[in-house]
Amino acid sequence: MKFRFRRQSTDPQREKIKQELFAFKKTVEHGFPHQPSALAFDPKLQLMAIGTKSGAIKIYGAPGVEFTGLHKDATAVTQILFLPGRGCLLSVLDDNTIHRWELVAESTREVGGVKKEGVVSLREVDSYSLPGRPGIESSSATRATVLLLLKSCDLLCVGTEGGGVYVLELPRLSLKENQTLLQDHVTQSLPDDYRCGKSLGPVESLQEHPQQAGKILIGYSRGLVVLWDLSSRHADQLFLGKQQLESLVWERSGNLFVSSHNDGGYSVWAVTNGNIYNHQPVSSTIPYGPFPCKAITKILWRTTQLSSPVILYSGGMPRASYGDRHCLTIQQDKEHVTLDFTSRVIDFFTVHNMDNDKEFDDPSALVVLLEEELVVIDLLTPGWPSLPTPYLAPLHSSAITCSCHVTNVSTKLWERLINAGKAQQSRRHTHRKWPICGGKSLAPPPRQQELLLTGHEDGTVRFWDASGVALTPLYKLSTANVFHTDCDPIDDPHDPCDDPDMQQQEEEEEWPPFRKVGCFDPYSDDPRLGIQKISLCKYSNKLVVAGTAGQVIVLGLNDERSDHLVDVSVMDLLQDREGFTWKGHDRLEPRLKPAPFLPGFQPLVLLQCLPPASVTAVALHAEWNLVAFGTSHGFGLFDYHRRNAVLARCTLHPNDSLAMEGPLSRVKSLKKSLRQSFRRIRKSRVSGKKRAVITTTSKVQEANAALAEQEEVAPVQRRIEPRSADDSLSGVVRCFCFADTFLRDGTHHGPTLWAGTNSGSVYAYALEVPGVDSGRTCERGGASESSMCVEAVLGKEIQLMHRAPVVSICVLDGRGKPLPDPYEASQDLSIAPDMTNAHSVLIASEEQLKVFSLPKVSAKTKFKLTAHEGCRVRKVALVLFSSAVQEDYSEHTLVCLTNMGDMHLFNMPGLRPQVRFDCIRKEDISGIASCVFTKNGQGFYLISPSEYERFSLSAKVLIKPQCSVQLLRHLGHMFTWLVALSSWFICQCSFNGFALCTLSLKTDHRSQKNT
Amino acid sequence: MNRSFNKSQPLRHIDCNAVEVKSKYGAEFRRFSVDRVKPGRFEEFYKLLLHIHRIANMEMMIGYADVHGDLLPINNDDNFCKAVSTAHPLLRIFIQRQEEVDYSTFGTNTITRKKKAVVALRNSDISRRRPNIHIGLPHDFRPVSSIIDVDILPESHRRVRLYRHGSDKPLGFYIRDGTSMRVTPHGVEKVPGIFISRMVPGGLAESTGLLAINDEVLEVNGIEVSGKSLDQVTDMMIANSHNLIVTVKPVNQRNNVVRSSRISGSSGQSSDSSGSTGYPSLSMAAARETPSGAHGYHDDLESDEETDIVIESSLKRPSQRSSSSLASSASRTQQQLPPSHRSPQHHHHHHHVSLNQQLHKEPKHSQQHKPGQPQLHSSNPALRHSNGSLHKILNSLKTDPRHSFALPKGGVEEDGTVITL
Repeated sequence: MKFRFRRQSTDPQREKIKQELFAFKKTVEHGFPHQPSALAFDPKLQLMAIGTKSGAIKIYGAPGVEFTGLHKDATAVTQILFLPGRGCLLSVLDDNTIHRWELVAESTREVGGVKKEGVVSLREVDSYSLPGRPGIESSSATRATVLLLLKSCDLLCVGTEGGGVYVLELPRLSLKENQTLLQDHVTQSLPDDYRCGKSLGPVESLQEHPQQAGKILIGYSRGLVVLWDLSSRHADQLFLGKQQLESLVWERSGNLFVSSHNDGGYSVWAVTNGNIYNHQPVSSTIPYGPFPCKAITKILWRTTQLSSPVILYSGGMPRASYGDRHCLTIQQDKEHVTLDFTSRVIDFFTVHNMDNDKEFDDPSALVVLLEEELVVIDLLTPGWPSLPTPYLAPLHSSAITCSCHVTNVSTKLWERLINAGKAQQSRRHTHRKWPICGGKSLAPPPRQQELLLTGHEDGTVRFWDASGVALTPLYKLSTANVFHTDCDPIDDPHDPCDDPDMQQQEEEEEWPPFRKVGCFDPYSDDPRLGIQKISLCKYSNKLVVAGTAGQVIVLGLNDERSDHLVDVSVMDLLQDREGFTWKGHDRLEPRLKPAPFLPGFQPLVLLQCLPPASVTAVALHAEWNLVAFGTSHGFGLFDYHRRNAVLARCTLHPNDSLAMEGPLSRVKSLKKSLRQSFRRIRKSRVSGKKRAVITTTSKVQEANAALAEQEEVAPVQRRIEPRSADDSLSGVVRCFCFADTFLRDGTHHGPTLWAGTNSGSVYAYALEVPGVDSGRTCERGGASESSMCVEAVLGKEIQLMHRAPVVSICVLDGRGKPLPDPYEASQDLSIAPDMTNAHSVLIASEEQLKVFSLPKVSAKTKFKLTAHEGCRVRKVALVLFSSAVQEDYSEHTLVCLTNMGDMHLFNMPGLRPQVRFDCIRKEDISGIASCVFTKNGQGFYLISPSEYERFSLSAKVLIKPQCSVQLLRHLGHMFTWLVALSSWFICQCSFNGFALCTLSLKTDHRSQKNT
Repeated sequence: MNRSFNKSQPLRHIDCNAVEVKSKYGAEFRRFSVDRVKPGRFEEFYKLLLHIHRIANMEMMIGYADVHGDLLPINNDDNFCKAVSTAHPLLRIFIQRQEEVDYSTFGTNTITRKKKAVVALRNSDISRRRPNIHIGLPHDFRPVSSIIDVDILPESHRRVRLYRHGSDKPLGFYIRDGTSMRVTPHGVEKVPGIFISRMVPGGLAESTGLLAINDEVLEVNGIEVSGKSLDQVTDMMIANSHNLIVTVKPVNQRNNVVRSSRISGSSGQSSDSSGSTGYPSLSMAAARETPSGAHGYHDDLESDEETDIVIESSLKRPSQRSSSSLASSASRTQQQLPPSHRSPQHHHHHHHVSLNQQLHKEPKHSQQHKPGQPQLHSSNPALRHSNGSLHKILNSLKTDPRHSFALPKGGVEEDGTVITL
């Protein structure tokens, strides 16, 4: 029957098993939040909060401690304030609303006989919209510019654009009308010559007196600073600054405060009792003068016990020469460092002594939130080195081009990778304790080590520890030094900025004393270096990395530094096909001299495909020493052990001209489509205007609009035509599969290579690998093995009638299970494949999933996804799902991610649909393209250039934040809650998407109140 | 029989019952007569014509000019009798080779516009002919489209099935987004819909006459399109393009199929959209390929099966290096390989036969595959032909250039290569 697949299975037993196997949940976000806009720190709980332009709030503590909240409106967070120690924070949004967030426990719930103790999460509990000033309609006058939370945590002062200061009472955020301080009130007490009829401007800074509660310093944009007593509603002192104000900071004693200005200078003011008017500051400095400088946007003044105070400020650069730099200066006595960042400084804070009985700040660390990364500077170690971040890693330090996940990495390989990573770290890094250490991760150590490899535009491959909640960098591999590039790193392959000698020299000569900090570097030296495909064999420690200019590099792991020449082998994939000339980029020049390679993965062979088109598929079989690689022109097979090209095959269709033109010509069509979309936008704008209120002038516009509509842009229409062989780029090789299976006949199995193309063609080759038992006696027993070559003979060609691109090929054993990875079978690392019953091959195209019998290729089962659902397969993975309830029960399942962003799960080899989950927005094309699956039912995809969303399809395997935070909550009395927050982990089953959790709420509410 | 008559004999004076016949084949004329009262059987007449024109081993098409000057076919006893009885004063016969028949010349007023008609008859340039509506000779026809499920659909809707049969004719239409009016309990609402936006002249969709610009697409192969994006519907149509069934709400509601009675609608006729029973309206057009069997649409369900092509290579000598590429050219399936040997490409004829023995259609024909066939493959005489002839075979298979592999240069030289479909 035609539509039998649409029938829902109603077998209750099967439904139960499905629930025990599959559950979809987005678990944690790895990486750096996209477009951060606000930063806050709770010194009591040692928690840091970051707000983003899309309205997200993320809280980080010790590695593994993470909370995420999202405002209802996707409005930018402009400011975050912690109520120190209470697990509570306030956020101000761009739309002039204030929101209160708390770490709260959800009510307990009982589902399926398992008691759930309630999920603790970051929740919005209250919101408040600032009132408009009576009589003035303009909302900008009451727009919040700065907020100040008094130390007592019961009052919130809000400075506004209109120069007013409003006081709100916590926790309900109710306005204390009688406390409002409007500008008129301040102006009255000003001397006439200062007043000069002008407004004081918006409130730029509010700072509470460090010693005397209830006194606040109010800084106005025009330069006036007022020390205001909230209780007496009276201005204690007025500081008549004349330079436009940017920020204020108190000295710890309260005898001094510092103001920073838009001319790039800062002033120190003395707060001495007596005269109400202060006309001049104690001192005034423009550090990068005398030429005009940019504003110092924020300044911190931290006292130290042993030495003079540390001054930290952002900005202030000489406008003409360094006005475009993103800088932050640390100054103490003669020591002066200008941290030079690659992205904008959003905000910064110091971790310092907050105890009231201590006399000095003694800052230990500086935390700088930049637009693209987080930088932490150790202020205790001389030279102020930077600290490596254990989380918030800038995944996108160079744009991510591909990724690859490796499960269950052996401890030995893991340690070697960590050592290789340590050897790379520059001497400028310290290994002091991470300063933001709030909360406690209760997660058990991960059951297995998981590795996420990301390929980048600059030719690097980064190895990440993806075993737990925090994605931490392990090791970075650069492939640039295999080639001779314009900006050849002289001797050392790692970043020149890490070289201390060079730095020292620079520091002596240059003013300002710049120091490059951070690793965000969006500019690639050469786009051809970009990594396109990665394949790692975790048993043999062989790595294959393939790139944009047709380079395929085979690497091996070495713990020692090595200087050697990399073998180069060139493979022509056109195979003398005539009439084609490559119009794309040139190949990369291989380095002719031996190059030094650091411990870690070191290149063994460089294969260069010709024409040097981007590599579109790669496969590694380390047991047979073979690597297969494909481009838009064809594919090749290489024996890297014997350095021998085994096979080259052209897949080009004679009519396919686009494949030859290289990536450049596609820019043209992009241009064209951009032009069209602009036209469309313009048109929609015009028609939008028509809806506006018709005035006399709009008549002309209307006429213009009518004219514009006449030159009609063709409506979006789609051609309905079956695919044809000469569609452009039909020869692109999409996937490979190495398998020991039955290609010749049903009795002899042997190594095979399968390749699938964009036009629905599959090529199957029988391989003759010397020394590999192919199920029959070696015919040429006499020849010595070393002299024998690997040979490939085309066994079968399959042309899928629907001609959709082949996304994946996988050979299934006699039980319908996927064949094990190389080495797994031979080294008894997995259950041996069934070689007695007939094998089959799964060919997944963009439109259909099909299982064919072997060796006679005839269709056994299929599922026509596109014909039924209208969606197309983008990513496919065979995943082993384990039951969350029954021990030792697992099923191999085919997971398909479609262009609609949903996940379809099919059983194997029956290809019956099991469940469907919505996962990614269908508009998020880069998210869908970046998705990578693990072998146990998890996955990652990019939600922004810098963040991976981790998700789980498995009911059993979940990696989620699990942490406890010691909270001090103010509820009439102060008492301590110990809340073990949101603890759930692997091996918890979930129904309906609610994860199980345990929460130990050790609170002695009553007894404390009574005492 | 009347074949003793000589063309020089003045027939009219001898027997007033005799009808003078002037038969024309190519540029040659023959004159003879038949008995007006007892013309005899068509078969005999046909044989006579072949004999006097010295035509051997060729299928001919006989036509005559009626009193109105129309060219009409003679292919059975009835129309032969009619032709003889209405002949006045003489019966003009036109003989054409079956494969050269230009059906556009049949029909009304072809002979009155004589000059044009003769030109058309003489013109053997087949490619210049317009495909035209052709009446009779059902074995040369197969459906390219049909209206189905009339009994279960509302009268305002039309379910159209397009048969591609591997022809190189494009489906030839475009779709777009639009808004359609729906009557809901809350009144008339505007809802997004998918519409046909453009028809390619000469395309399959246009030639059927069943689809038109601005028809709203409601379903694709039984799946509703509401709630689906334009791209999704495009993907669905392309995925189903080998057997596309589109349910539309025609913009022109005047040409709807009117049901004869409501009862037939509930008579339990097949509601399966792929059903091969009743075609209340069958739009037909000439097609070049000759389908197997009397029913051109016999294997409708299978045509949807999209049988993939598997080309096997001999793995007898695995040690041999596959230098560049192996033989890899084949076309679609048997659909394009006419088992009935009416193929005009007579010189390829026996190759077809020999290939057909080896072609197995996957999966349903795989049983035909003899177990001992692998040995046969390498020694098959058909494939032992010179390189050039194998090219010819492969080219003859390539009836549809859009659906053939790239023929690798020199690939067929590989010894022992076997092509199995």
